[in-house]
Amino acid sequence: MLGVYIHIPFCERKCLYCAFSSFVNKKDEGESYLSHLLKEINNFENKNNEEVDSIYIGGGTPSLLELEELDRIFKKLHEKFKISFDCEISIECNPNSLTKEKLLGYKSLGINRLSIGVQSLNDEDLKFIARLHNRAMAIDAVKKAKECGFENINCDLLIGLKNANTEDFLNQLKTLLDLGVTHISAYMLQVEDGTPLQNLVKQNADLLPSDDECVEIYKKATKYLQKYGINKYEISNFALKGYECKHNLKYWSGENYIGFGLSAHSYIDGIRFANSNNFKDYYAQKLALKEKLTTKQLIEEHIMLGLRCCLGVDLDYLKSLNYNLEKNENLIYFLEKNIIYRENNRIFLNQDYYGINNYVIIKLMP
Amino acid sequence: MERIKKIRNFCIVAHIDHGKSTLADRLIEKTGTLAKRDMQEQLLDSMDLEREKGITIKLTPTRMLYTYQGEEYELNLIDTPGHVDFTYEVSRSLAACEGAILIVDASQGVEAQTLANAYLAIDNNLEILPVINKIDLPSARPEEVKKEIEDVVGVPAMDAPCISAKDGTNIDQVLEMIVKQFPSPKGDENGKLKCLIFDSFYDNFRGAICLIRVFDGKVKVGDRIKMMHTGKVFDVTEVGIFVPFSKTVDILQAGDVGYLAGSIKNISDIEVGDTITNVDNPIETPLPGYKKVQPVVFCGIFPVDGAKYNELKDGLEKLKLNDASLEYQPEVSQALGYGFRCGFLGLLHLEIITERLEREFNLDIITTAPSVYYHVFKTNGEMLELSNPSSLPNPVEIDYIEEPVVKASIYAPPQYVGAIMELCQEKRGIYKDLTYLDSNRVRVNYVLPLGEIIYDFFDSLKSRTKGYASLDYEMAGFERSDLVRVDILLNGEKCDALSIIVHKDKAYTRGRALTEKLKKIIPRQLFEVPIQAAIGSKIIARETVSAMRKDVLAKCYGGDITRKRKLLEKQKEGKKRMRKIGSVEIPSEAFMSILKLDDDDNK
Repeated sequence: MLGVYIHIPFCERKCLYCAFSSFVNKKDEGESYLSHLLKEINNFENKNNEEVDSIYIGGGTPSLLELEELDRIFKKLHEKFKISFDCEISIECNPNSLTKEKLLGYKSLGINRLSIGVQSLNDEDLKFIARLHNRAMAIDAVKKAKECGFENINCDLLIGLKNANTEDFLNQLKTLLDLGVTHISAYMLQVEDGTPLQNLVKQNADLLPSDDECVEIYKKATKYLQKYGINKYEISNFALKGYECKHNLKYWSGENYIGFGLSAHSYIDGIRFANSNNFKDYYAQKLALKEKLTTKQLIEEHIMLGLRCCLGVDLDYLKSLNYNLEKNENLIYFLEKNIIYRENNRIFLNQDYYGINNYVIIKLMP
Repeated sequence: MERIKKIRNFCIVAHIDHGKSTLADRLIEKTGTLAKRDMQEQLLDSMDLEREKGITIKLTPTRMLYTYQGEEYELNLIDTPGHVDFTYEVSRSLAACEGAILIVDASQGVEAQTLANAYLAIDNNLEILPVINKIDLPSARPEEVKKEIEDVVGVPAMDAPCISAKDGTNIDQVLEMIVKQFPSPKGDENGKLKCLIFDSFYDNFRGAICLIRVFDGKVKVGDRIKMMHTGKVFDVTEVGIFVPFSKTVDILQAGDVGYLAGSIKNISDIEVGDTITNVDNPIETPLPGYKKVQPVVFCGIFPVDGAKYNELKDGLEKLKLNDASLEYQPEVSQALGYGFRCGFLGLLHLEIITERLEREFNLDIITTAPSVYYHVFKTNGEMLELSNPSSLPNPVEIDYIEEPVVKASIYAPPQYVGAIMELCQEKRGIYKDLTYLDSNRVRVNYVLPLGEIIYDFFDSLKSRTKGYASLDYEMAGFERSDLVRVDILLNGEKCDALSIIVHKDKAYTRGRALTEKLKKIIPRQLFEVPIQAAIGSKIIARETVSAMRKDVLAKCYGGDITRKRKLLEKQKEGKKRMRKIGSVEIPSEAFMSILKLDDDDNK
């Protein structure tokens, strides 16, 4: 089964922390981009004629697209791929660009999962990171989505913004869960190179909460969500049972996925490739990356991805790649200290140690 | 004119950065010894390291030919290192000369090392030729500086050439003065052979090479020679000069500077300051001034990657070939595994050797804190000599300990006497005397423990006297002292490589400073790590590194797995320089941090 990712690299405005591939020039570039995107989908060779069971439209801000534009994309997808009847079809959207009309349109296009970029319900923080919505608009967007019949709704939240302490953050979670949200992505804010946020942090090292405070909020949030039956299934992702994001799980389990659009990444039969992140090169079909994974890289990725999520690491699979992790003294130590636990031939990271995920992964890499 | 009358042997001495090497380059260029296109900036400093640090470590003598009033003169320039670690080597190089050019920066004037080096030259009975350099700078004040030289150094300077070594201005004048002012060597080429060894190096094909100054007699291929102090006998296989690359000659005679090879396999057979004579027709008494060079500073050197032990051994062996003063022997540390205990002439020497190991042999090494050599008298009457704190026996077995002391002479303008005495007092010095050399200069004599000097004495002295003080010292035996070992415990486990021996009165402050420093250096671990300093079983200081909470990449964005994998691979590379002590990972620089303690305190 194949996953399809489609990148819409346009935003109304760049957020303070954003280092993703997105631009504010949809008016000028939009039409030309769309035509190249459709061309790229059209040219794709689906060698194994794989059926598609997840489609994810991400960005940028895909909800900036007009319904008519989305319609062209879906027509092309249906023309090109066999799409399974239970295919998960997600779209990322911002609270301020969601209207009832759009939501109903999404329904009719077959979209069955919304990922809403709430980021925070704290108005101070929303202003600080330069979002275009406020708390009321975010709540309103979730309500509208429910009214239009969406069952599978994710909200993105950021941990580690300026004003939200633990209590405030847990209250935000409660508000969203009471509205019927089924999935939460809670990301610890990362200060990326070249972002305006990085400059601010350089000027004032105490601008953001400390790492310890962030981890504290993260741990409390994990516990809090559990009470609502919303379980962590990846470092930053929490869902009601059955509402885990199928598309994201593909990234972590090593299944095939194809990405269309600017800077989109793909992984097909052991080869990773990525489109360029500038329009000119993308239009010229220049790849930014193409690598066939070596055995060592396959091992590293399996450990890295498996320990980040509920899938765990398959020791037998690693053995088949000639890596006997069972003999690794660090693993023995982690098992002894209950940092990692084992079920049959799989090992999993203990939830309490998700905050030091990197450290553990590095210790187990060949 | 008689051959020997046309020889001039001289060196250049100066305060650091006053232009010693640049002038040497100009002299070589001006005399046509090397064509300009062959010149590499600062030719005489042949090692990369020297060029980078701007200091000269190894001496490279050069013969230049210069015609003055129709006569061709042979000028032998012997370059000298300018650091207290190498004072003995410098003094031997000076002993090979009759004259010294004293360079003084035209804007900076007389500085501490100007004076120290000038005195060293005067002590060796050299004729001093002051030269004012950098007159191209707008801030140059040559006339005032000349007066300063006369007042402070006490050498006539009114006729001193004013030059710019950088631009090549007035270099001819310097060459003329060398011929006119420096005396020619005295000596009898028909007498018995008497040569001074002032340096040595190792050549893969010719073996160990002696750099020599012939005082009397002559030496040629086939002669049987004897090193008077080591007693070793060799057949001369080659004699030559440097122009500045080596060139063989038939014979070296009284007054000449050159080199001599004799299939000498071991560089330790050649000692700087030793006298060479002819076996068949020997002299009775060697030249004065010889000292056996002994290492005074010791530290452990270990490979970061334990598997590289043999490569480290090779590296040390190769460096030893060129550097007889380097000593090493195998050592095993619980914390660091297999490595070597190494002895050096001083801290700069230590730094040079460790840097060369890393650069020339591409090794990652861990260096433990420098230490001196102690005499430990046990209650059972035994005496141990040791430099490694972890070899110190149990306190109950120790009767008393002696540590090496030095006689230190500090030269400075009188207004700094207070600051100098305060520093010496802090460093457990014992005041000896104070002499006014003239109205601008005093000499303060102290007896100081060597162990205090090797930490940061020199830097503190410089900073407290605005760079005006200069330090010279010589070993003055051993003295009884109340010393204790401070151990460092990480997570309750003693880390032998971090132990230090200190005076009892300083143990608490050192222990505290050390734990604080380690807290900054040791990264957070899975569990809380207590860092303790202890004397025996008594804990004297404690810090805690709290447990690591966050090390995570939050977002796996849009299927871009590659970026994440690369970040982790990079992070993993960084971990390689860590050492595991028990369950605690510590970065290799932690072991040297003990050395840097005092630097931080002064800031």
